[in-house]
Amino acid sequence: MRLGIARVALAALPVLFLGYFFVYPVLSILHRASIGGGGLEFLLTRSTTSAIWFTLWQATLSTILTLAAALPLTWALSTFSFPGRRWVMAIVTVPFVLPSVVVASAFIALGMRDSVVAILLAHVFFNVSVVVRTVTTVWARLDRTPIEAARTLGASSLQAFRKVTFPMIGPSVAAASSIVFLLCFTSFGVVLLLGGLAYRTIEVEIYSRVTTFLDLPAAGALALLQLVSITGVMFVYARIQEGRARHLQLRAEERVLRPARGRETPILWSIVISTVVLVLIPPAVLVARSFRGGGAGWRFLASPAPLAIDPTAAITNSLQSALIAALIAVAVGVPAALLVVRSTPGWGRWVDVVIMLPLGTSAVTIGLGFLIALDRPIDLRTSPWLVPIAHALVAIPFVVRAIVPTIRSIKTVLRDAAAVLGASPARVWRSVDLPLMSRAVAVAAGFAAAVSLGEFGATAFIVRPGTTTIPTMIYQLLGRPGAVTFSGAMAMAVVLMVLVAGLVLSLDRVRAGELGSF
Amino acid sequence: MLSVRDVRVSFGDIVALDGVGFDMGEERVGLLGPSGCGKSTLLRVIAGLQRPDSGSVIFDGDDVTGLPVHKRGFGLMFQDYALFPHRDVGGNVEFGLEMQGMEDEPRRERVAEVLDLVGLPGWEKRPVDNLSGGEAQRVALARTLAPRPRLVLLDEPLGALDRMLRERLVTDIREILVNASTPAIYVTHDHDEASTVSERILIMREGRIVQSGTLDQIRSAPADDWVDAFVGL
Repeated sequence: MRLGIARVALAALPVLFLGYFFVYPVLSILHRASIGGGGLEFLLTRSTTSAIWFTLWQATLSTILTLAAALPLTWALSTFSFPGRRWVMAIVTVPFVLPSVVVASAFIALGMRDSVVAILLAHVFFNVSVVVRTVTTVWARLDRTPIEAARTLGASSLQAFRKVTFPMIGPSVAAASSIVFLLCFTSFGVVLLLGGLAYRTIEVEIYSRVTTFLDLPAAGALALLQLVSITGVMFVYARIQEGRARHLQLRAEERVLRPARGRETPILWSIVISTVVLVLIPPAVLVARSFRGGGAGWRFLASPAPLAIDPTAAITNSLQSALIAALIAVAVGVPAALLVVRSTPGWGRWVDVVIMLPLGTSAVTIGLGFLIALDRPIDLRTSPWLVPIAHALVAIPFVVRAIVPTIRSIKTVLRDAAAVLGASPARVWRSVDLPLMSRAVAVAAGFAAAVSLGEFGATAFIVRPGTTTIPTMIYQLLGRPGAVTFSGAMAMAVVLMVLVAGLVLSLDRVRAGELGSF
Repeated sequence: MLSVRDVRVSFGDIVALDGVGFDMGEERVGLLGPSGCGKSTLLRVIAGLQRPDSGSVIFDGDDVTGLPVHKRGFGLMFQDYALFPHRDVGGNVEFGLEMQGMEDEPRRERVAEVLDLVGLPGWEKRPVDNLSGGEAQRVALARTLAPRPRLVLLDEPLGALDRMLRERLVTDIREILVNASTPAIYVTHDHDEASTVSERILIMREGRIVQSGTLDQIRSAPADDWVDAFVGL
């Protein structure tokens, strides 16, 4: 990469921010894990090995179940045009953007606590949309003539699927699966709330090591293990992505999709209706549960007399954090996205990887890193800025992912045209690039705010009585005995759900379909 | 050998085929008409990719109208070739042979033979995504011919190529089809192309066949003013 002044200026903020708030904390974890001694031995103790084992098998099983649940709908959405198709797509997307604490609360409202089944179902509920959206964006646009060619060459429809369709959509299915696996592997909120004491993932184990025993070296060793495994999965994902770039002929959906005929019609509608109903049940039950007992939960929120946590303050904190986090994420994410696009291909990939690392790093690791590292040179650990900074860190990869394709899609010829007409490079940027990417930036900012509203893993480590957010308040309420506080938690989960779903659905109207696919 | 009887197809309000009927023997037939006249739809009906609303397709005395596409043994060459992007040249050409369950050894021989026929000997291992238009067209032709189809259907196979290349390839296609002695229907909107490849031309307009004969016959006695203008010099 040529080191022009412009590039250095562009790189400064992302490098400083990610360096101080991401690389430095992670290195501190590494350091802590190694000087604590016994880090490795600790990894072999029984409670740890069982956490590792549980993490692995629940993530694998969750991925398989998610695929099984998502593929029928994916097929239906990728084959047929039918009234309400866009709505179905929007409805199945909602669970993915719901905060883990809300999803866990919904399954608790369904009466499923302390069970593996609850964890698995919650993971499926969460991730169905990852598979549906990632695969449908390719499958629903796949040129059908190679399949017809296979049919005229003597392939039955099953053979044509196996030999032609599947090789073309397979990489997308694999990419979606690896994302789902990663999300289940690092699942924290869902497992902490639904797993009780019996079921712990590595994430939950890190958290309880810190909060119960203040055992930082052990937590550090686990975080390190987590980091290594996640990097491994990301590597596999990157390899799959490269394979995905194969020259597939994609067309407009309207030209590929066709109406269902004959006995396809009942099959299509039974798949669509059952998936939509299954997706709507948990949120619906959550809302119903919050109103049980004559609305005790909502009254409790209005006057939480004997409580240390004030619901209004939690809501205010959350909204403030969301606003600040969105601003930081955009301030860091936009130059980072420009850097990804403007670097030479080789460098660009590295920049991309570095920026995406926080996505792969679990939120719990980020929280732990903050706790370990940020006391020097200035003690930031008591700062009210800490929570929004952590949220921004989690949101930056999403912001970059959302903006990069837009910048790439701006045609060079437009810039050339502006330059020929006498615009300086800075002017070209201001009059061509900026207006064309402003909508994507707005969407990304909104999405960062949504991520912040629901963030739980990192917040759980660094939250202080004065900075309680909605998710941490729900967690605290669920930990207390009593039917009223329980209803209060349900009501609070409804508040969070409405905030996040409202925000994301309004973004989806700004520009449909950009955010949900990986 | 092939007999198409009173075939009708409509998409919603649009009538694509409005009672098409014709017969053909062991010959090359050119199906000529302007864009949107229904010729591609007719080809898809014969191939079995499009089910007609009414009418029938009869081949060698058997009614194949209800026979699924993969059991018809017809070859269809697509307008944009539709090569499989995940298979190399050899993998594309051998697909139909695989479907017939042919053994490895004879399959390899047949692939080599057909690639030789289309002028691409030894190209088996090449990837398909950086073939030129003319090369992709030859590979598609080889893939269509490899399983020895009972009837070859070609849907504007040269449509995407430039004029010079088209003129060269059209004679090649003619020779290849005659040497393979396969009956064929060649869809195009270019009458020179149609008359080079085929012995007989069917003129199609707005979902119907309006005239049949050699180009010279049609030119000397056009059925109506529209045909006269369409095939005029």
